[in-house]
Amino acid sequence: MDSSRVDIYSFANEKEIARSFSKRFQWEMALIGLGQAAVFLSLWPLVILNVIPLWIGAITATFCALFAYLPSHEAQHGNYSRGKANRRWIDSLVSHVTLITLMFPHHIMRATHMKHHAYTNDPHKDVDYDTASSSSLLEVFLRSNESTAKYDKYLEVFKDDSNFVKSFEKGALVGLAYRGTLMTLVIFFPLEALFLWWLPSKVGVMYLSTFFSWYPHYQMETGRYKDTRFWHHLLPRYINHSMQLHFVHHLHPGIGHFDEPKAIEALKPFLIERGVPGADQIPDRVSYNPLIKL
Amino acid sequence: MKTIITVLINHIKSWNMVWFGLIFWGSVLNAFAAEFGLLANNPNLSYFFFLFGLILGLVAKFRGTWLWIPAE
Repeated sequence: MDSSRVDIYSFANEKEIARSFSKRFQWEMALIGLGQAAVFLSLWPLVILNVIPLWIGAITATFCALFAYLPSHEAQHGNYSRGKANRRWIDSLVSHVTLITLMFPHHIMRATHMKHHAYTNDPHKDVDYDTASSSSLLEVFLRSNESTAKYDKYLEVFKDDSNFVKSFEKGALVGLAYRGTLMTLVIFFPLEALFLWWLPSKVGVMYLSTFFSWYPHYQMETGRYKDTRFWHHLLPRYINHSMQLHFVHHLHPGIGHFDEPKAIEALKPFLIERGVPGADQIPDRVSYNPLIKL
Repeated sequence: MKTIITVLINHIKSWNMVWFGLIFWGSVLNAFAAEFGLLANNPNLSYFFFLFGLILGLVAKFRGTWLWIPAE
């Protein structure tokens, strides 16, 4: 390899390109997160007062659940505040509110997600290894039913990380509050509690585990450039929340979700050079449909 | 006060699934029974549905996870 080639594909250059896509406030995500939560919460009076039937409420709540995680995910990486301390409340606000639909505590999600990034595909330390290593989609669905309870065992694994433990304990209280609210609601509105909240949140978590965890990480190795892949399937990119592009998020988490396609186009030569799994199949222009593989 | 909260949290952590089975699944099964008219002639059947929920919760507690999730 000649020295000029090494220079072109240096990590500093890769980082510089990635940084240019890591500056924009992710307003679309904030809107989606707060918007879906507003729709989800409004379903309760609408269904209870018989303005809309329960089945319409259930379908709408399920769609809300599918859109609930990514806005929090951006917040977990600080992609609203962008390093500005006086804007951190936006990260917190969006994440707490959007996760209501999934009954997920923000603090636990942030703490465990950071560990997922640090130890992707490590059987003992990656908190999402159970779904990523599932042998079939059915296994993913079954395992994802455990919800955040599956993270409890990682309190022992990361017991020496005081920040992790503190965040986890904070989140556990929020988790208890969710449980208490659901248990109270089910006494007065049993079918509404089941079809507007419990079931949609389960569908949302299955969706999340399938597209955010299983497809991108299934049968991948550990290590930067190796732990996440570019993948194809039958459905257009917007059905899977663009998780075909998830590998670039693992390389540069600061790149905003809606800026990932442009970032990947710019970074494609670097990704091929580094041997990112599937990188040679990335189209030159990442639009919504070229990622469909028939 | 702090002790009471700690005791409460420990109890919930340990018996969470049992309470969830009794209250959540019991209420849901009972509501389905009412919806399908099963309680119209025999309101005491409610006890059966809550008992069934409780059993689901107890099995989950001792199994470590819900019946429909593969145990590790």
